[in-house]
Amino acid sequence: MTTTFQRQNIFCKSGLWRRLCLSCVIWHASFCLAQQPTPAVVRQPATDGKVWGALIYATTDADKLTGSAEQMPTTPQDLPARLAKVFAPYTHFEIIGQHLQDVFREYESWVVPSRDLFLKIDSKGPAEDGGMNLHLQVWREQQVVAKADAILRAGSPLFIGGPKWRGGQLLFVLELRKK
Amino acid sequence: MKTPSEENHDLIRWLDDEMTVGERRAFEANWQSDPELAAEAESMRWLSERIKAHLPAEIPVPHADFFNSQIQARIAQMEVDDARERAETAASTSSRFLWLRLPWLAGAAAAALAIVGLVWTQSGSSGCSTILSTYTPNPSMKAQVIEHVDAVATVLLLEGLDPIPAEKKVVGFHVHHAESDAEVATTTLFDENGAVLAVVALNAQGQPQMLK
Repeated sequence: MTTTFQRQNIFCKSGLWRRLCLSCVIWHASFCLAQQPTPAVVRQPATDGKVWGALIYATTDADKLTGSAEQMPTTPQDLPARLAKVFAPYTHFEIIGQHLQDVFREYESWVVPSRDLFLKIDSKGPAEDGGMNLHLQVWREQQVVAKADAILRAGSPLFIGGPKWRGGQLLFVLELRKK
Repeated sequence: MKTPSEENHDLIRWLDDEMTVGERRAFEANWQSDPELAAEAESMRWLSERIKAHLPAEIPVPHADFFNSQIQARIAQMEVDDARERAETAASTSSRFLWLRLPWLAGAAAAALAIVGLVWTQSGSSGCSTILSTYTPNPSMKAQVIEHVDAVATVLLLEGLDPIPAEKKVVGFHVHHAESDAEVATTTLFDENGAVLAVVALNAQGQPQMLK
């Protein structure tokens, strides 16, 4: 009895018992991991399309341009010329920031080319001929300045005339992109 | 005391100061011969002034988004009803023109309908974006919508916005993609290298705050 007790005591004191348990746990864990066929897939939220949004500085004086490195996109086609038709007398248009954003089906999407002026978009589902029904909110920092319900269609951008700045005006362009 | 009704429409116009000078004089001249009208007018003016003094001139519409969407839904329903009514009228009219069912006319009618349908389809699918409704929470602001055919664009002009001070630096982002976390109501903006540009988080009032 004494010998057995001593043996058990040595077994516990030497840490052999703990090592054995730990080995079992590791073996079991590795076995379970090996049994999993594929890692858990992160579900991407459903989207209704993509939009491109840009904050643009419009001015009549080229010397006042900010020197932004952002390039004019190929779409919308002829963007500066189209903006000039709408926002006369401005002749120079410079992209300050731009954002390509998925429009989520079930919750809000933010189009944030700048901290100063940005959009919140809620999808209201597809419209006829490939368009998208949207609820838009125009935010200026922490204030919503306008809300609109709109149908956005590819090739027909939405131009938003924003606040005046540096003798010119800030404009927002929103375009529906192919999904 | 009588309440204003269609019969005393003039009294309402007088109260709302909508009468021309001539109309107003003529209306007030009637008081000489109609003391009851004079008393009622005076009483209504007294009441109107007190109401105006205690109520704000403008009251924001509660739940304006819902209000707008309900109006749009109602308009859409009215358009559907009108179209159905027109179709029913056209159907009853067509029964008077049974001679149009002659075989040689059927072909011509089909061709004509095809042309009309083509024209209608082309005009209906003009492909232009449309703004259905606008709302500006600040009453000193106005939103104007223009469909600019030449620029093939829809324009939303926000009038009455305070200018941004010239000395303020407006810094833009080039957002390559964004990831949203619906559980914590945040959207993280990334550049093309995967670096975080900013995080949009909603505060307790539902206003967006830019973190970073």
